[in-house]
Amino acid sequence: MQQKKSETFATRFGFIAAGIGMAVGTGNVWRFPRVTAANGGGAFLIALTVAMFVYAIPLLLAEMAIARKTRLGTIGAMRDFMGKKFTWVGGWLALVALGVMFYYSVVAGWTIKYLVLSLQGTFSGPDITPEVTESIWLTFLDTPVQTILFHGVSMLFGAIVIYKGVTAGIEKVTKIMVPTLFVLLTLVMIRGVTLPGAADGLVFLFTPNLEVLLGSRVWLEAFTQAAWSTGAGWALLMTYAVYTKDEEDLSVNCFIIGFGDVLVGLIAAMAILPTVYSLSPTIEAAQAAMGSGNNGLIFVYLSALFARMPGGTIVAVIFFLALAFAALSSLLSMIEVGVLNLMDAGWERGKATIYVCVAGFLVGVPSAYSINFLDNQDWVWGVGLLISGLLISVAIMKYGVEKVRNEDINHAHSDMVIGPWWSFMIRIFPAVFAVIFGWWTWQSIGWYPGEWWKPFEVFTPGTMFFQWGVGAIILIALNDKMANWIRPGTFDLEAQSQASMKKEG
Amino acid sequence: MTPGSIVFMILILGLYGGGFAFFMNKAFGAKK
Repeated sequence: MQQKKSETFATRFGFIAAGIGMAVGTGNVWRFPRVTAANGGGAFLIALTVAMFVYAIPLLLAEMAIARKTRLGTIGAMRDFMGKKFTWVGGWLALVALGVMFYYSVVAGWTIKYLVLSLQGTFSGPDITPEVTESIWLTFLDTPVQTILFHGVSMLFGAIVIYKGVTAGIEKVTKIMVPTLFVLLTLVMIRGVTLPGAADGLVFLFTPNLEVLLGSRVWLEAFTQAAWSTGAGWALLMTYAVYTKDEEDLSVNCFIIGFGDVLVGLIAAMAILPTVYSLSPTIEAAQAAMGSGNNGLIFVYLSALFARMPGGTIVAVIFFLALAFAALSSLLSMIEVGVLNLMDAGWERGKATIYVCVAGFLVGVPSAYSINFLDNQDWVWGVGLLISGLLISVAIMKYGVEKVRNEDINHAHSDMVIGPWWSFMIRIFPAVFAVIFGWWTWQSIGWYPGEWWKPFEVFTPGTMFFQWGVGAIILIALNDKMANWIRPGTFDLEAQSQASMKKEG
Repeated sequence: MTPGSIVFMILILGLYGGGFAFFMNKAFGAKK
């Protein structure tokens, strides 16, 4: 018997808000401005625009098409879309998304902690220097009770929302969080661009140094940013799209989510860069802030700069609230990946939510305890997401790229026709993947000369391949079990092939 | 800011801000 999902997003805006909430995360706020500044400002934005159309949007559309056809979570979707012996592919998508969830909840916890600190007025007064904020940050990281507590708070928030279901939970919450996030970041941006000397930051952001485009680094960084920021290939949008109505458009929704994601990054960059360049005592200090990594930029430098900003106490609260909203709305989609797969196996939503969130909390504890462990997980599953993208493109090619475009993307209720460019991008995806994946692997070999193979270092290729290998072996071994474990969906490739063979016979 | 930066800023914000608004209008604007 084939079943359809009983839960659906009640409104189109609800799905779009959830989709933007999924895509917009901490990476938009702390990675986008930093990577843009480090890669030629305007030149990076040009490369990112290309990456959006070559990588992110085609993959997001592919995810939605698979979800709409199968109406199942990742495991069942790949079983029915690729064939039973490829069920492990869906297991891989879930493994990587959950691998990210385990440490992302810790990161979301940091943002809540800093929201609390800003509410307490910590980032105000002349004594707040980068040395002081660095000490606050390191003390927090070295206090496991705190990091674990705030990890628990973010997972509890996710559990409550997901427990309530799609309409009463995800849709209701993201419909509030996402527009609020836009407004909050815009307020911080207005404060940033009206500071004296803010133009220096804007010049840095919007000067198109076109010669930078002749180098390879800007392109690789842009494609990586497009993949990590939009969530393309993570199977998060695939999970949410299962709950859309049959008459729901895919193409316009996908463009709204993709453009919305970059727009938030641009607003964040226009908030952060002018602030850093305006309030830093010297240009060297501003460059040190921009080069201090994600955590250093936000939790050390920006926190200190809020103290120098007129009205900075309030701006800090607004900024960290926006950051927390960005993190938590993404966390929801990761939890839902696990919950939907368990529901496909016949579990009740409530039970599935409790199991996923309790497991998420427990497995996330090592990342809350050790920043090295978190960095390792970020490395392993962050790069693993690129493989997930590759597998989704392969799934589409196996089924038939044109068939998906004509039957599933350009359906009767589409608001916009997607042309053959999409099919072309999906077909070249493996080559794009090979370049980006090869670049990251090559870079990491250089970070550990002679020791790149070691499986227990933080950023080695060895640790990636070791953890992926263990995961993939287990999933392939459990392939048939997983295939039988999930209930039937709305589409079955093998049943359809047999039926058409009978017809022809 | 240089004229080049200003023009580029308008182009990029126009592309993403305008693009976002265009698709939102396509999704939620008055249907014929």
